[in-house]
Amino acid sequence: MKRMLAISGTVLGLMLALVVQPQAQGGRGGGQAAGQGAGRGQGAAPGAGQGAGRGAVVVGQLAGKPVVQPAQRGASYRDSISPTDPAMNGPVPRLADGHPDLSGPWEGGGSDQDMEIDGGMAKGELDALLLPWAKTLKAERSKAIYGEPYIYCLPMSVPRVNPYPWTFVNGYTSKGLERIYVLHETGDAGAHRVVYMDGRKHPVDPLPTWWGHSTGRWEGDTLVIDTTGYNDKFWFDSVGTPHTEKLHTIERWTRISYGTLVLDFTIDDPGTFTKPVELRFVARITKPGVDLMEYICAENNQIGLAGGYLSKDNASQIGIAGGPPQTPEKK
Amino acid sequence: MRMNLGLLLAGLGVFCLTAPIAAHHGFDTEYDSNKTITGTGVVSKVEWTNPHMHVYIDVTDASGKVTTYNLELTSPNAIQRLGWNKNDLLAGEKVTFAGHAGRVVESRGALDSLVKVSAPKQEIFKGQRPAEVGSN
Repeated sequence: MKRMLAISGTVLGLMLALVVQPQAQGGRGGGQAAGQGAGRGQGAAPGAGQGAGRGAVVVGQLAGKPVVQPAQRGASYRDSISPTDPAMNGPVPRLADGHPDLSGPWEGGGSDQDMEIDGGMAKGELDALLLPWAKTLKAERSKAIYGEPYIYCLPMSVPRVNPYPWTFVNGYTSKGLERIYVLHETGDAGAHRVVYMDGRKHPVDPLPTWWGHSTGRWEGDTLVIDTTGYNDKFWFDSVGTPHTEKLHTIERWTRISYGTLVLDFTIDDPGTFTKPVELRFVARITKPGVDLMEYICAENNQIGLAGGYLSKDNASQIGIAGGPPQTPEKK
Repeated sequence: MRMNLGLLLAGLGVFCLTAPIAAHHGFDTEYDSNKTITGTGVVSKVEWTNPHMHVYIDVTDASGKVTTYNLELTSPNAIQRLGWNKNDLLAGEKVTFAGHAGRVVESRGALDSLVKVSAPKQEIFKGQRPAEVGSN
């Protein structure tokens, strides 16, 4: 009964938040209340806190709890259908083998700024789980955001998204669905993320990589992706949330309707956090006709020049080296 | 022309009031949202490149000194999805622009609006969002 009341309170809180539609900053308080009500267990709805964002809407249910399509952040949903379009609630398309078709293309479904907020946690909630070294590093990075590898066109990795579409590509062979590839319009930096669906195990003590080693399986209609073997080079988000090579992630992707794909994202990194972190992101289906286009990020990257962080001289090296400079010319 | 520039500035003001620029990595460290730049000049180059497009505009002041403004947009894919293509703005065309200046290099800016002098009511590449500038 207490749980029912808590859930009801959460729903009421979300409805109020939607009616009031506070500014993004002010909305975080509402997010906190909702997040607390929803709990943090496996299958819970940490993303309920996203309801507080301006323009957020409830787009369906998952495991008996409301799923909130977060407010537009930047232009992350510019090429998607409107969250209030009735088509959003249409049935989930299915593949010939009966599994849900997760191909999209999608927008959103990750963090482009601050995963603590984008993933439905209250301000400070994630940071409170950081071990001291990680808290220190994050604080240092927040003063030196030009150190992020991604802005020099290196891979973004998880749970990053950018304001462009991305897609799951089903790799069928004569043996069935053996691999799923994850392609982003940019952010892969020439890589192609592979999710092995053939039952193989993770390699023992692999060379760490940007996207790690991913194996996938279906749990009912949910695609579960388990990944280890990440390097520690990428930042989780643009505010510099760090991690170590001990990182193990579990992604639970569930298409709850035609228009909505939910990611329940577990970060298990005992080298960085005092306990596993649960985040929820929501992706939206793109409009008909939207395809991924060519995006060669390193072609003409002028990051850092207008802000005076880089000069033309050392910036010209970036296009060649593809990485951040070791010695900032100017802060 | 003066009136068109006024309209542009008014539009920019409204934009700033209604759409505060997100603290997206890049924008606030690259550009100053409180420092606007405007001008009329000749397009010297339009780069349909990744990660972001750049439009270069030569502006000549009263003394004859030429300043080349390098104005950053969003990705060429995003601009194409909005319906623009490579023929919509060409080198040699006279334009009026408004944007936010670089924090250090003021001749670099985030483009907010751009019109051809020959068609001052028709914005070119309208729809790009400064909040995206600086991200991949």
